[in-house]
Amino acid sequence: MKRRIMIAALLLALVLGALALGGCREADNPQASPNEPSSGGLVDAPKEWDGKIVSFTGEAIGEAMVRGDKAWIHLNDDAYYLKNVEEGAQLGGYNAGMAVWIDASLAKQIQFFGDYKHEGDVAKVSGVFNAACAEHGGDMDIHATSLEILTSGRDAQDPVKTDKLVWAVVLALIAGGLFLLNRSWGEWGPDSRND
Amino acid sequence: MILRPRKQDHLLIGKYTGKIVTGVGLLMVIPLITSIVFQEWDTAIDFVISISACLIFGLGTQLVCRTERDLNWSHGLVVASGSWIVATILGALPQWLSGHEGSYLDAMFDVMSGYTTTGLYLLQDLDHISRGLNMWRHLLTYAGGQGIVVIALTFLFKGTAGAYKVYVGEGKDERLLPNVVQTARAIWLVSLTWLVIGTTALFGTGLLLGQEPVRAFLHGLWVFMGAWSTGGFAPQSFNTFWFHSITYEVLSVIIFVAGSLNFALHWALWTGNRKEIRRNVETVSFTVTLMVTTLIATFWLAKSGVYPDAMSLFRKVFYQLASGHTTTGFSTIYSKAFISQWGPVGMIATTVAMAIGASACSTAGGIKGIRIGIVTKAFLQDVRKMISPESAVVRAKFHHIRDIFLEDGLVRSALMITVAYLTMYALTAFVGTLYGYPLVTSMFEAVSAGSNTGLSCGLTDPSMPDLMKALYIFVMWLGRLEFMSVFALIGYAFSIVRGRK
Repeated sequence: MKRRIMIAALLLALVLGALALGGCREADNPQASPNEPSSGGLVDAPKEWDGKIVSFTGEAIGEAMVRGDKAWIHLNDDAYYLKNVEEGAQLGGYNAGMAVWIDASLAKQIQFFGDYKHEGDVAKVSGVFNAACAEHGGDMDIHATSLEILTSGRDAQDPVKTDKLVWAVVLALIAGGLFLLNRSWGEWGPDSRND
Repeated sequence: MILRPRKQDHLLIGKYTGKIVTGVGLLMVIPLITSIVFQEWDTAIDFVISISACLIFGLGTQLVCRTERDLNWSHGLVVASGSWIVATILGALPQWLSGHEGSYLDAMFDVMSGYTTTGLYLLQDLDHISRGLNMWRHLLTYAGGQGIVVIALTFLFKGTAGAYKVYVGEGKDERLLPNVVQTARAIWLVSLTWLVIGTTALFGTGLLLGQEPVRAFLHGLWVFMGAWSTGGFAPQSFNTFWFHSITYEVLSVIIFVAGSLNFALHWALWTGNRKEIRRNVETVSFTVTLMVTTLIATFWLAKSGVYPDAMSLFRKVFYQLASGHTTTGFSTIYSKAFISQWGPVGMIATTVAMAIGASACSTAGGIKGIRIGIVTKAFLQDVRKMISPESAVVRAKFHHIRDIFLEDGLVRSALMITVAYLTMYALTAFVGTLYGYPLVTSMFEAVSAGSNTGLSCGLTDPSMPDLMKALYIFVMWLGRLEFMSVFALIGYAFSIVRGRK
């Protein structure tokens, strides 16, 4: 028991030591320096942008998660922000974007959120970029104070391709035929008779 | 002398491989139904094509390969590793047909990553994919966590003695119950119970976080599958960072830690043996190494002042380290933030955690806690021998379900697999450095792939060289099956060519 208490005390001391060593940093004051970095630029050099006011443009993705009078939205500034793959956009790498914390009333201006069936509204937000937000558990985010819809979203199309339909019918018929053949020739395997 | 396999051997291997691939085809019915429910017709057609292809292979093979014989050990190992390859080739069809993959190799990469519960992916524009395809991605990883052989054992095998050999070939060797099919079903019982509880908890939390009900349910289900299988796939490109919620993070940590525990330990707890969790060598080893790596990363990040306060620091470090150590791969930071914010020490601490991994006979990968425990105990035993009188008998034991004395054979086996993992990590990292990636980056990603973790610092990318994609597919497979089955398959191929009649 005594040994366990000693180990626990040692671990606690180590954690406190680690925290004391690093100290707790005050959030930087926002500087009035309008900039328009990409999400890649923000992630690659978070220190340079930390605490600055930035403008960020991207496709609203998924949904707005309303929390009280605020909301989380996610804006993607990748290769698919105007047209998705189903509609013929060229593959252009992974999605890339930024999380935005914004007034719920502003988030409600977004009518379309991007997913398989929708191309989301393209929105421009302005606000403070946080490399590690103190309010949100160290998340990298933008606390936006304004939002402007630049392009309205729409329903996305993914029509059935005829050649795939033909393949599906032919292969399904062959698979069905093999299933019947298998059944008519006997059991799933000889092992079934052993049990 | 190596003997060339006879026709009967080929028939036997073909028959059981066919059964397992049939199982994979039947599994695709779930995403097919999902696509139909959400009226994603083009995706539904992709799944009809893919199911048909699996059934044609599976049923066709069983028709051609008719035999009464049962499997021996080498057959079991070859079936386990071989069926993973065929299941990867055919399982990649839905991804490839979706148009979201740069090549068929990329689609195979994603499917192998799913089966092996790695979580790295090359699929592009994830945020616009259909719900049917997202269901398939997560189902792959959930099924892969239990083992695709376990699925086939549960539904398609009828309890032959040989079935156990295929089961072992998939990297599992615990018999929870006397019969291997009953064991497979027990694994499913535990997993499905967790599925219901975990999904309900995440669904409820999603609703409270402002998600609309259908999305909250699907996200809850998929995040559960990604967590329980220690797979790390998530429905959005932001991964679990999407939710911005400490409750969601805590729930996912509980689920992925539970998923990383040995199924035998789950079964012991299930049957009322609660003390096992405190005494088991794997949980002890995991707790110690997780604390040490977390402390190292905490020291470093505190020193560099990346996070604004103690709570943020602990929340970020513990989540990434626990996710890495359980080989899950969920992340609440951007991939490139490992380089731009965490730096080399943070990355090395994460790499060590990933390399060790979690428990054997679980959904997790890596060297495994039990081997670290055995090797450490053996080392301490040797030290004790050195400082004891010559006539003293020094014996050591460890606890895993029961007390087990440390025998030389056990230590040798644990060391052999540990060395095999370390060699695999080093060689894979070396190839990365040959392509010009920095050593720390290359090591991070190599270990992530080889230990089936899936955390990325940005090296894994659709534009990475094809050879590296193929290498990562190979090491994901090798790491998940723990070498022996793969070597048996290579030996089988060799004996076909060079064996004596």
